[in-house]
Amino acid sequence: MTNILVVADIKQGVLKGSTAELLSKARALGAATAAVAVGSNVADLAPQLAAAGSDTQYIVDDPSLEIFSAAPFAAAVVDAAKAFSADMVWFGFSETGKAAAPRVAVQLEAACATEIIDVTMDGDDLHIVRPAIANKVLQKVKINVPKLVAVVRAGAFEADPEVTGTENVVTLDPPEKDMAAVVKELISDASGEIDLADADIVVSVGRGAKDQAGVDLVKALADDLAAGFGSSRAMVDAGLMAHNKQVGQTGKIVAPSLYIAVGISGAIQHLAGMNGAKVILAVNKDPEAPIFNVADFGIVGNLFDVVPLLKEEIKKIRA
Amino acid sequence: MKILTTVKKVVDVELNIHVENGAIVEKGLQYVINAWDENAVEAAVQLKEAHKAETTLVSLGSGDNTDMIRKCYAMGIDNAIHIDDPALAKADSPTFAKVLQKVYEAGDYDLVIAGKQAQDTDAGQAGIMLGEFLGIPCVSNVIEIKVTDDTHIQVSRLGDAGTEIVDVTLPAVVTVSDSINEPRLPAMRGIMMAKKKKITVMDLAGLGTSFEEIGGTAPASEVVEFMPVQKRKGGQKFEGDPADITARVVQLLVNEAKVL
Ligand SMILES: Cc1cc2nc3c(=O)[nH]c(=O)nc-3n(C[C@H](O)[C@H](O)[C@H](O)COP(=O)(O)OP(=O)(O)OC[C@H]3O[C@@H](n4cnc5c(N)ncnc54)[C@H](O)[C@@H]3O)c2cc1C
Ligand SMILES: Nc1ncnc2c1ncn2[C@@H]1O[C@H](COP(=O)(O)O)[C@@H](O)[C@H]1O
Repeated sequence: MTNILVVADIKQGVLKGSTAELLSKARALGAATAAVAVGSNVADLAPQLAAAGSDTQYIVDDPSLEIFSAAPFAAAVVDAAKAFSADMVWFGFSETGKAAAPRVAVQLEAACATEIIDVTMDGDDLHIVRPAIANKVLQKVKINVPKLVAVVRAGAFEADPEVTGTENVVTLDPPEKDMAAVVKELISDASGEIDLADADIVVSVGRGAKDQAGVDLVKALADDLAAGFGSSRAMVDAGLMAHNKQVGQTGKIVAPSLYIAVGISGAIQHLAGMNGAKVILAVNKDPEAPIFNVADFGIVGNLFDVVPLLKEEIKKIRA
Repeated sequence: MKILTTVKKVVDVELNIHVENGAIVEKGLQYVINAWDENAVEAAVQLKEAHKAETTLVSLGSGDNTDMIRKCYAMGIDNAIHIDDPALAKADSPTFAKVLQKVYEAGDYDLVIAGKQAQDTDAGQAGIMLGEFLGIPCVSNVIEIKVTDDTHIQVSRLGDAGTEIVDVTLPAVVTVSDSINEPRLPAMRGIMMAKKKKITVMDLAGLGTSFEEIGGTAPASEVVEFMPVQKRKGGQKFEGDPADITARVVQLLVNEAKVL
């Protein structure tokens, strides 16, 4: 039996969808499943973690874990992995996972694989598949040691609505604080806006929108669609969009049903963050823009004309 | 303050990459400095300019790294070490991190600045693992570094909940995001001076270690096959009267793609 521990992806106290996706996949592989929730006031998430497909819930709940700090977070996950005798530890795709996974792997003497999109177990053979080289190739990687710590790329697995687990809560002691790297302040991004990672539709704005007025125009389209509102790096660099809105290799990986790229050229680093979308619509005035090579639907036109028209048409069909 | 920056030579991701029979086709590939490591070099040079830090870069791998190292010299790096060993041709992140540990231990560094990830592996592991192996703090995905005093820095890190401001006791490792700076284009004078500078080259034995010792002979994971990515194809592109084409596309999104 393989034991898979899934690290609960919790943002602003809310359990993210990726946790259920990972637990469903673990169960589909025939593994024994557990989840670990690390944070402050996370104990009440246990029933949700059970419903999402875990049979044991490790809870590491302490006020000192209110703000993320990599070393104690990793230590808490290591404790849970040891308590569960985990063969694998899976993180959902997040900055938390990316920061913690290599630490957990070193401490557990496990292999570490980030951005995985598939896992296969064939007898004793464990393989993972992941994109590499800015998403230009896929790698099949053989795991040569008994344990694996992995960060699963957004959109890799689907949650099975039939899956549920059982509640069996184990409370673990909180880890020590890291005195050598002290997080003294968190400048929060919490804005009440739709989280890009969860959104079914994402509308992203690029340099073509030029200035604040352009951003506002595209944002209004996102609002009409109840969509997540993202950005290229150019707009983040210009100070027009927040860092946490950046889609791409350095930013968020999104895999919505519909991705609408407005005034975005389609640089590979941007594509690496959104080419998992089911359908891509691009609006760009340059018919040669590379974004059209990946877009299912392309509108060649000035976004300042096209976006208001899109809003109007959508209003009609939604009426 | 003594700073070590880690710099990897990687395949140029802007060019086409072909896969045949489970391997990447070498022909036509070009190699460049890893973009995030260029940010690391820039960050080191900025600290040198502001705080008289001494900057050393280290690059691990087999083959000629001279051009890349000269470029970093021209940007303002003081010293360069190249660990050139054929055994490192296919090393993974933890193996590289073990070699970096040896390099760190042979010097007397206060701060290591690494890139957040290498563009060929897209792993994002080596810097964090180096901190873990050394038992010193590591902050990843850093977008600002400020020197507080001789033994402390304050860094900003982009996390899931926002920007974390972290007080770090040196020695430490940071891994930088491309958002931290805009790497400079070296000036002519720097390029000329860089040509005269010496590069310290040694193999693993010269560093006092071996491929066995760093765990390279029994890697925890290994790439067994490369596969082409299922490329997205461009679909229907519409040009013409904006009102007309927009209405048609919305109809298609509703009726054909069924995503609205
Ligand atoms: C290491 C590294 C990591 C990176 N990570 C990321 C990342 O995570 N995410 C990311 O996005 N980028 C990333 N980049 C940057 C990336 O390479 C591009 O520079 C960036 O994505 C460009 O943003 P853009 O498409 O908005 O701007 P541009 O490339 O300038 O494109 C603007 C587009 O708008 C169109 N346009 C202009 N006016 C109009 C108009 N009126 N109507 C319609 N269309 C118009 C133009 O035709 C053009 O195609 C990274 C780069 C590096 C080196
Ligand atoms: N061969 C190498 N030589 C020098 N630095 C490296 C090497 N491999 C990795 N690094 C550093 O570690 C970072 C992360 O690498 P990776 O874990 O491969 O994503 C890179 O951005 C480099 O700064």
